[in-house]
Amino acid sequence: MAGVRLSHVTRRFGNVVAVDDVNLEINDREFLVLLGPSGCGKTTTLRMIAGLEELSEGNIYIGDHDVSQLPPKDRDIAMVFQNYALYPHMTVYENMAFGLKLHKTPKDEIDKRVKEAAEILGLAPFLKRRPKELSGGQRQRVALGRAIVREPKVFLMDEPLSNLDAKLRTQTRVELKRLHQRLGATIVYVTHDQTEAMTMGTRIVVMKDGVVQQVDTPEGIYRRPVNQFVATFVGTPPMNLISATLTSEQGRFVAQVAGQKVALPEFLTPGLKSMTAEAMTLGIRPENIQLLAESDVPAGHLPVAGVVRVIEPLGHEQMVYCQVGDNTVVVRMDNTWRGQVDDNVVLAMESDALNAFDPVTERSLLTHETPMLA
Amino acid sequence: MANPVTPAKATRQTTVRKPARRIRGWDNRMAFFTLIPSLILLGVFVYGFIAWSGYVSLTNWNSLIPTLTWAGLRNYATIFSSFRFQSDLRNLVVFTVLFIAGDLVIGMILALLVDQKIRAEGLFRSIFIYPMAISMVVTGVIWSWILNPTTGINLFFHALGFTHVPEWFLSSRFAPSVHLGQIDIGIPVGLLAVVIAAVWQMSGFAMAVYLGGLRSVPEELKEAARIDGAGPWRTFWSVILPQLKGTTATIVVIQAAASLKVFGLIYAMTGSGQDFSTDMPNLNMFQTTFQGDAFAQGAAIAIVLLLLMAAFTVPYVLSMLRGER
Ligand SMILES: Nc1ncnc2c1ncn2[C@@H]1O[C@H](COP(=O)(O)OP(=O)(O)O)[C@@H](O)[C@H]1O
Ligand SMILES: [Mg+2]
Repeated sequence: MAGVRLSHVTRRFGNVVAVDDVNLEINDREFLVLLGPSGCGKTTTLRMIAGLEELSEGNIYIGDHDVSQLPPKDRDIAMVFQNYALYPHMTVYENMAFGLKLHKTPKDEIDKRVKEAAEILGLAPFLKRRPKELSGGQRQRVALGRAIVREPKVFLMDEPLSNLDAKLRTQTRVELKRLHQRLGATIVYVTHDQTEAMTMGTRIVVMKDGVVQQVDTPEGIYRRPVNQFVATFVGTPPMNLISATLTSEQGRFVAQVAGQKVALPEFLTPGLKSMTAEAMTLGIRPENIQLLAESDVPAGHLPVAGVVRVIEPLGHEQMVYCQVGDNTVVVRMDNTWRGQVDDNVVLAMESDALNAFDPVTERSLLTHETPMLA
Repeated sequence: MANPVTPAKATRQTTVRKPARRIRGWDNRMAFFTLIPSLILLGVFVYGFIAWSGYVSLTNWNSLIPTLTWAGLRNYATIFSSFRFQSDLRNLVVFTVLFIAGDLVIGMILALLVDQKIRAEGLFRSIFIYPMAISMVVTGVIWSWILNPTTGINLFFHALGFTHVPEWFLSSRFAPSVHLGQIDIGIPVGLLAVVIAAVWQMSGFAMAVYLGGLRSVPEELKEAARIDGAGPWRTFWSVILPQLKGTTATIVVIQAAASLKVFGLIYAMTGSGQDFSTDMPNLNMFQTTFQGDAFAQGAAIAIVLLLLMAAFTVPYVLSMLRGER
């Protein structure tokens, strides 16, 4: 096992900059997830770590070695492909043993490792089958097995669950996480699915247009996104973005939201001081707002008035879409809440959960000292 | 997660096919009716005449007078015991094996070269396939010039200082010379020149088919092999080539059929050769029937060729049909 370091890694295809100056420090035994929309350069990044794609600029280190110029076989990595890429003419056993054979591993050692991996993955009864005689989930596990037996320094996985149905995906997610703990492996995992990223990653790298937006724990990404892109890419429904005008009263910052005053919490002050323009954007997640009757706003909450426009029941909870001035604000309420469309309501926003963005740069105005929500 | 799949597979096949068949019932009937005219024509002019040939081969019609009296298998006995037909079968086997082997190897090499993401790929593809467009007779004439022992490529060998130059298609040697019964079952050296010409003409076809096959091997599979530590050779032998089994079978069957029919090339280059060393069943059939007027024996040769052809194509077609289901 070893860590991986990417230093100023760039990849161009003609005029397209697929990966743009990526710097990353992946720790030993980390489960690092590369997350981003389709076409943002995740696969290209992973393939450069694997050695399947050349770097236009920069260096990649695995452990202490600069592997930038090494072919894949000398990098001590294993890769799980999106379509599994199993050898169709080989049995499950042969698929897993192929790489070991090429590395001149002794026969009994190969046998031992393949059988061990098959045991871990529940593939023992299928060792003599060919890939086309297996279900999608089983194939996926063979692809994992092929990587495991190699005992590589780093596992690289490119959307390995995207070809499974929803139920199997959830199941495999859990298994993969358990496998990570059991093997103590360094894993770099690519996905466009934020749920996968949130549930499995020890840290998440959010990418957009080849550029790394944020590297943080799942909680950090979720609670303190560095910009509006991360705020809205992560979370279903995404974080509410509310346009406001910034004023100050007696040394405190106050936001005007649709003509209503919202006294902003103290922790936003350092960031807001740097603002020169008046326009700003408030960010808050749907579950950090409560819908209340007028008077009884609890401590630590900031009220704004709004009107209920749409109610979307989801069984265990409901999404309530409210209009606040020109903004639509989504509120996640449990199903005990009884309200009607066109009701006038008070949206009580948890002040600790508030984010603020510069609407021009779309960057967060929170400084890095901003405390994480308790 | 250890859900077994075997029962699911078995049931899927039966449940899926039935409704599909019912929906297609009407379409099938329509298709059948529109095909009736061509089925009739095909029935009469192909299968009817095959049947007629089969019948003639069992009669005594071996002169200009159609004597359709029953001869049983006598014509078959005659041709199989003849020196010429025995030589033909040897030549056919030698030619087919060498031609197909050469075709596969050259075709694969060309396909691999063209598949290197080279510039002007289309141009090279056309150049390699072009010989197929030439008539076999023309190919034969061209190559008999090139391989003419006194005026062809041998001049080049002479210039290089070789004194023992090959006689090419004029050779009547056998290598090795092994007698079995009345014939020599070695490789007739003269036939090798014909093989060269045939490979030149047809390897473009093998290239085209192999190129299609190579293109259909997923890129990820090659990358997986690279990550597993396989070099280019190992990837080719252990990963790519096994994916091309079906492609190879297709080429073998089609070229075997072509090889059984080879006529023009032989006719233009060597003819029957000394002691029938380069004779072919087709040539024999043609001369027996139309020059020797032994219609029944000619028909017998035709039927033997037909059966040989069927031995190659029927298993192939059956396996294709099975694959489609
Ligand atoms: N081989 C290639 N040639 C040209 N452009 C490519 C190639 N591979 C990827 N790209 C481009 O690079 C960008 C990033 O692609 P990719 O890494 O596959 O994104 P992701 O995996 O995040 O969906 C895309 O715009 C894609 O079109
Ligand atoms: Mg991708």
